[in-house]
Amino acid sequence: MFLNHFEYFAPQAAKDALDLCDRLGAKAKILAGGTDLLNLMKDKLLKPEYLIDINNVDEFKGIFYEPGKGAVIGAATKISEIERSEIIREKYFALHQAAGELGSVQVRNMATIGGNICNASPAAETPTPLVALGAKVVISSLSGDREMPLEEFILGNGETALAEGEILTKFLLPEPISGSVSRYGYIGLRDAMEIDAVNLAVNLALGEDGRIIKQLKLVMGSVFPRPLVSEEAPEILIGKEFSAELAEEAARAASSESKPISDIRASAEYRREIVAVLSRRLLQEAFSAAQGEV
Amino acid sequence: MKQLIALDINDQIYEVPVDPWDLLSDVIRKKVRLTGTKKGCEQGDCGACTVLINGQAVLSCLTLAIACQGKKITTIEGLAEQDGRLHPIQQSFVDYGAVQCGFCTSGMILSSKALLDSNPKPGREEIKRALSGNLCRCTGYKKIIEAVEVASETMSKEGVK
Amino acid sequence: MGVWDKEQYVREGVPPFQDERRFTQVGKSVPKIDSPAKVRGEAIYTDDIVLPGMAYGRIKRCTEHAHAKIKKIDYSKALAHPGVLAVLIGDEAPKKWGMLPQTANETVLAVDKVRFNGEGVAAVAAVDEETAEIACDLIDVEYEPLPVLLDPFESMQRAGEIQIHEDAPGNILHEGEQVFGDVDKAFKECKYILEREFKTNMPQQGFLEPQAALANYDPQNGQLRLWSSSQIAHYLHRQISDVLEMPMNKIRVTVPTVGGGFGGKAEACVNEFVACLLSRKIGRPVKVTFDRSEVFYTNKGRHPCHMKMKIGLDADGYIQAVDFDNTLDKGAYAGWGIVVLFYSASMIHLPYKVPNARFRGRCVYTNKPSMGSMRGLGGVQPRFAMECMLDELAEMMGISPFELKMKNAVESGYTAVNNMYVPHTEYKRSLQKAVEKSGYLEKHGKLPFGKGIGLAGGYYITGTAYTLYMSYKPHTSVLLRVDTEGGVTLHCSAVDIGQGSNTVMAQMAAEALGVHFEDVHIQSHDTEVGTFDLGTFASRLTYATGIAIRDAAEKINGKLKEIAAGLLGCRADHLAIKDRKIYSIYEAERKSMEWEKVVEIAVNTTGSLAAMGHFSPPRRRGFDLTSGKRAQGANIGHSPTFGFSCQIFEVDVDLETGKIKVTRVTESGDMGTMINPMAADGQVEGSIVYNLGACLYEDQFFDKDGIHLNPNFQDYKMPTIMDMPEMDINTLTDSYDPTAPFGAKETGEGAVQPTFPAIVNAIYDAIGIRFTEVPITPEKVLKALKEKKKGK
Ligand SMILES: Cc1cc2nc3c(=O)[nH]c(=O)nc-3n(C[C@H](O)[C@H](O)[C@H](O)COP(=O)(O)OP(=O)(O)OC[C@H]3O[C@@H](n4cnc5c(N)ncnc54)[C@H](O)[C@@H]3O)c2cc1C
Ligand code: FES
Ligand code: FES
Repeated sequence: MFLNHFEYFAPQAAKDALDLCDRLGAKAKILAGGTDLLNLMKDKLLKPEYLIDINNVDEFKGIFYEPGKGAVIGAATKISEIERSEIIREKYFALHQAAGELGSVQVRNMATIGGNICNASPAAETPTPLVALGAKVVISSLSGDREMPLEEFILGNGETALAEGEILTKFLLPEPISGSVSRYGYIGLRDAMEIDAVNLAVNLALGEDGRIIKQLKLVMGSVFPRPLVSEEAPEILIGKEFSAELAEEAARAASSESKPISDIRASAEYRREIVAVLSRRLLQEAFSAAQGEV
Repeated sequence: MKQLIALDINDQIYEVPVDPWDLLSDVIRKKVRLTGTKKGCEQGDCGACTVLINGQAVLSCLTLAIACQGKKITTIEGLAEQDGRLHPIQQSFVDYGAVQCGFCTSGMILSSKALLDSNPKPGREEIKRALSGNLCRCTGYKKIIEAVEVASETMSKEGVK
Repeated sequence: MGVWDKEQYVREGVPPFQDERRFTQVGKSVPKIDSPAKVRGEAIYTDDIVLPGMAYGRIKRCTEHAHAKIKKIDYSKALAHPGVLAVLIGDEAPKKWGMLPQTANETVLAVDKVRFNGEGVAAVAAVDEETAEIACDLIDVEYEPLPVLLDPFESMQRAGEIQIHEDAPGNILHEGEQVFGDVDKAFKECKYILEREFKTNMPQQGFLEPQAALANYDPQNGQLRLWSSSQIAHYLHRQISDVLEMPMNKIRVTVPTVGGGFGGKAEACVNEFVACLLSRKIGRPVKVTFDRSEVFYTNKGRHPCHMKMKIGLDADGYIQAVDFDNTLDKGAYAGWGIVVLFYSASMIHLPYKVPNARFRGRCVYTNKPSMGSMRGLGGVQPRFAMECMLDELAEMMGISPFELKMKNAVESGYTAVNNMYVPHTEYKRSLQKAVEKSGYLEKHGKLPFGKGIGLAGGYYITGTAYTLYMSYKPHTSVLLRVDTEGGVTLHCSAVDIGQGSNTVMAQMAAEALGVHFEDVHIQSHDTEVGTFDLGTFASRLTYATGIAIRDAAEKINGKLKEIAAGLLGCRADHLAIKDRKIYSIYEAERKSMEWEKVVEIAVNTTGSLAAMGHFSPPRRRGFDLTSGKRAQGANIGHSPTFGFSCQIFEVDVDLETGKIKVTRVTESGDMGTMINPMAADGQVEGSIVYNLGACLYEDQFFDKDGIHLNPNFQDYKMPTIMDMPEMDINTLTDSYDPTAPFGAKETGEGAVQPTFPAIVNAIYDAIGIRFTEVPITPEKVLKALKEKKKGK
């Protein structure tokens, strides 16, 4: 269980990190929490010649919220910080929930949100809620920043839109629209330390009357190479008054949109089944919570 | 190309030659020779290698030693008092039968310490959540939870940190 | 209540000095003597040891195939790599080893072919671990793949075409049959007959400390020292001697602190041989520590069983016949196979009275890592089948499973048809207590759909009756030494793997000698410093060492009493020793001396005191005196006495996801006297969570080519603290086996027995589905629920 030999850099400033990235290109890997990267290196699946440790770059860290504008989360922010953040809990509950379910205390103290996204595992915890919450990513390089919706950033299992010389630096979470509520849930075998068989997030907003669904985003994880946004569920529910029957219909629709595979953790059939169950439960939960909000 | 780095482990400075790819768990065990930190899986799944860095529980098997310069590292050997008296968590693990083979014990105790330092009066569910990254195959966990509860009481009574 | 009737439990009015059950050291929850070192991180495990000049060994494994001919091994590049000290291949140590000498068929490293994925094909010694790892990658092995057999039935069927071992036609390690009584006739007379098939999974022990071994061969005097994380210093010693072709007296095995075993370290392990062979080759100490994947490749976990069972009851619900057919998936090598086969056979004879019984079984080779001896060896699988079927039979009869089990439960003094003898049992009281404490009768069959409660019982042996090789020697010997310098020292090579045997031995020695447990020093874990012991398995240590300790202590006490009698002016047989005092039982106030003073006088006059004590289990094999027939069976399965227990599980089934949440477990066990109740409880709690994992999610997976898919803790899922149910442990505190040392029997392996069926019966109570296969994953539950709905 040894790591390959590499050269190690621990820049203090964003500029230096970007410089290194630019200079070392594909031979380098960014080291954030290392909880994915070092495991891959131990298995000799990756053998980078350089590691650029971004943990000392303050500009990449922290959670900032501005009322009306939304939140900015640095990519190197620890999952445990997100889990504990009051503002995330208040405004972006699904992300708070997902952060609290990622790995164990130790893993959360090490792992970063940027690492979770850049690792781009289909079973990862935070992509689903982040997509549901409409997150955008900021990608930086020496030539400047670019922004894109997270949905477009994750391309597939282990694949992202990051180009050589780029670092994911920030997540931008829009201010939740009024009357909106988000929820996250997962199913696995154990009650902790679980690689999810399926995870799911919904972001739902009710109209003034507290009954009509104004906005909905339902995102499925672990059932497709990247987070899968349901197209049919919103069509079924938006503009309608919430009912258990409609929720069931939307859940079934989401389930049939999912394209899971079978592996040792679960069969495709079971995953599809669970998408329906989780969707319905989370829709119901989010609806009830949203009623309380209005 | 080895580099001499200074590691602050249990309030003592160790100057150790390390390569960038050396893992903290290996440096602690093999170079500093504090073998109380265990390796059960080397992949982050068991928690046996848990140490505290700046008071937070982390996995030393997934941490580069070179990245730990300037940080305060606490291993199981750093918990007892100078005179050898056990830390209340250690004492309650002994007294309440929370130790069987002992291989998970260092990690369990350090995770418990991180919890009690930040949350001196945790509830049962909070204790479980805090220890969910530490596997124990021997005890069935019940006595571990009891031991943490007792330690929490002792610590708040005695004002121990 | 059988031979040990109620009167014997009434201790009122018995003067303390005449009451052998009035213990001062036994029955106390003293903290384990090794736990202070463990909580300080100071306990030394094998991998923690570093010797001067030590080299590191590593095994090159065949990770690409599960069955293949080895065409060529080219290790020239490895040998030439800087820092590599030696390479070892299978041909250099061709002597076959195995737990049972009769079926030894494993070589240290594969010779000619590999039979399972991950088998070792070569090993290297190098100056550091990293170099050893690199060197392994530099070894080129050319394979010719062979067809892979993963299912025991397919393996038997295709044996003509492909044989895993040349000397095992049919791919069968062993087939056996045992018939007691007239089973077919008995079934004809039964009113209720049930026949079912069951299938179990392939869990692994999951001890947290990977195997580690450190060998140091001294070329000058030809002595070999081996430090290893083993449960069976003695058997390891024998096998090292065998494979290395060195006399045992040139080898010393020391077991440092062990990070759990559960049977997984109850067999010699490849790293131990490799460390010794490499050390002999290079004349330097060599350490070989496994990583987690190697633990899984080595496996030695629980045998998957395909079981058919038929049980018949008469009109009143008394069991008349049991017919049991068991096909065990052996994996690639024999190991404990035959022992497990016949343990599974013996398990149908208790804890219920079964007048007619038949067993047919076979242990079949497959291209999987070998199965071995896992906690509750041979018992867990048949217990699962039998307890689930009795639950169903009770339903057929319209009575409570509790009633059916009480009706059939054995009593003290029972001899089973296979000649197994139960000197003492409180099984019925265990059932009653668990039922009472859990409210089983009020809840069973009455909880809302999705919630359920299930009951199961079980038993286990308290040690084996026979050694695994032909020998009549005592199974455990202890040496007790008393002097003015060391005080009391107990020597015995028994190994504490975390269960607490060192502490329990200290308590028993202190009780037997009349001192305090802190006064006793334990010298265990070592074949040279400690006296002979068979090993840590079969739930045997408390009983075996207890008898040997008592035997030795009586000899020491005899001497001390003689001396004290002279000094006190009374008869030696009037003296008692307790609480560090020697006193006359009739004039305790006047005629009393400090124990230490008497020891001093004894030592000053005749020198240090020492005595050996031995334990040999009673044997049940041989001829029946009345019938003149050779008593069949009872060779494997027989034990000096047995532990019993009952577990009641409560579950919540999520009807939409199929997820099972175990909410509560109520246990009551009969383990005789608990020498250390806190440690005993720990065994029970640990057992429950242990087998809960194996019942609900633990399993090892292989693809169609036999490649191991989850040799890691990420996908081999063991229960975390979040999965722990509420546990209410009610071990009987007044159980006492008069035939046992201090009244103590066993726990640790007995307590895993009822877990599978108790969960499965609870699931049935919750959703009306009887599962016959484990693990019961949410996926299986959901599928079954759907089929049930469809009316299948
Ligand atoms: C025991 C254990 C349990 C786990 N459980 C879970 C779980 O329940 N759910 C879950 O989702 N994950 C889980 N994980 C996986 C892992 O912890 C997470 O994916 C984590 O968020 C990764 O973050 P990191 O900071 O450790 O990433 P790293 O390992 O440091 O990096 C991961 C990848 O992303 C790249 N990278 C990181 N940051 C950036 C950046 N800012 N810009 C560009 N590239 C970057 C790295 O180069 C690397 O390729 C678990 C891991 C372990 C060891
Ligand atoms: S050794 Fe680090 S988590 Fe298991
Ligand atoms: S005490 Fe053995 S693993 Fe916890």
